[in-house]
Amino acid sequence: MTDPLVLVVDDDPDILDAICDILEGEGYRVARARHGVEALERVEAEKPAIILLDLMMPVMDGLAFAQALRERPGKAGIPIVVISADGNPQRAASVGAAGYLAKPFDIDALLAQVAQMTSSACASF
Amino acid sequence: MEREQSEQPKTGSDPKDVAADANERRSGYLGFVAHEVRNPLSTALWTAELLARMSPEERGGARGDKLSAMCLRSLSRVRQLVEDHFLCERLDVAGIPVRAEPLSLGEVVEALLERRPADAPPVTVELDGPITVAADRSLLERAIEALLAVAGSDGTPVRVVARTGDDVAISVSGHAPAPGALEDPRKGSASDPKGRALALPVARRAAAALRGSLIVSDAGYLLTLPRVRAYTPPPDSPAEP
Repeated sequence: MTDPLVLVVDDDPDILDAICDILEGEGYRVARARHGVEALERVEAEKPAIILLDLMMPVMDGLAFAQALRERPGKAGIPIVVISADGNPQRAASVGAAGYLAKPFDIDALLAQVAQMTSSACASF
Repeated sequence: MEREQSEQPKTGSDPKDVAADANERRSGYLGFVAHEVRNPLSTALWTAELLARMSPEERGGARGDKLSAMCLRSLSRVRQLVEDHFLCERLDVAGIPVRAEPLSLGEVVEALLERRPADAPPVTVELDGPITVAADRSLLERAIEALLAVAGSDGTPVRVVARTGDDVAISVSGHAPAPGALEDPRKGSASDPKGRALALPVARRAAAALRGSLIVSDAGYLLTLPRVRAYTPPPDSPAEP
């Protein structure tokens, strides 16, 4: 079985690089997107086990992406963990996110969240 | 279409509504500042922790070099944001002494351009002859430097044109301003990779402290400052060469 694929969506290139480095170091495969439109393309191209989603992004923000994802057949069940610097977990709940991590979160908290979500996602396939 | 910045309450508005509006704007602005600081702070913390978890051999390798560079870059962003934020706060409460002195605009701009980083986008300057403005040097530098930063976003070449009339009008054009960015910095670029998310608030406040104004239009940024028509040095000043 291949390692789970994690899609990381954030407009900040350093955040993208750092999170991808953390996840790859733990053996995850990662895909990256800089905004919601790119993320939707990624989701179509390769079904990720989990999506780590920033909210405040140009072109298409995280809330609009989450709504668009939920309307796509076969993609609506992909769990989303919101990773946001806005300090407002209610916004994550409003899009039905499975988890919320407030930046700056601990690396171990990220890995625990991803491990839990990917194991649930794999078990459900 | 021009969008002139104005934080003045509308005449005739209910004082309670005006206060509520001001509080809401203030809260939104502080939320934006916190958001902008947390992103590079996150990267700095994560990369420092990853480096700490690595063996000395790993740390000396390519991945260690990459993480170190990311950490330093992120800390620079945090520093820039913190400096800009506190400058805005101090200007808001008139906490900085502003000393107006006659300054050669050309010399100020030239000195700023010499201090720009090597990877900064090119800047062309067109002055309407020698121009002297009455300004505090430090604040004038901060205002112009901030406008060069926002106009040069994404590596866009910048053009500075200064004209004299009743006042001195300094036009800075390059990267198109985001609609409404001057009124609300949250409407600008979502995350500035150089940490200049507060450049426009800095420029606006510095312009006001210099008794000038800042206008944002689709064409760019227009900084207007008081002009010195004929400067006579005080009697005890040394004569200019």
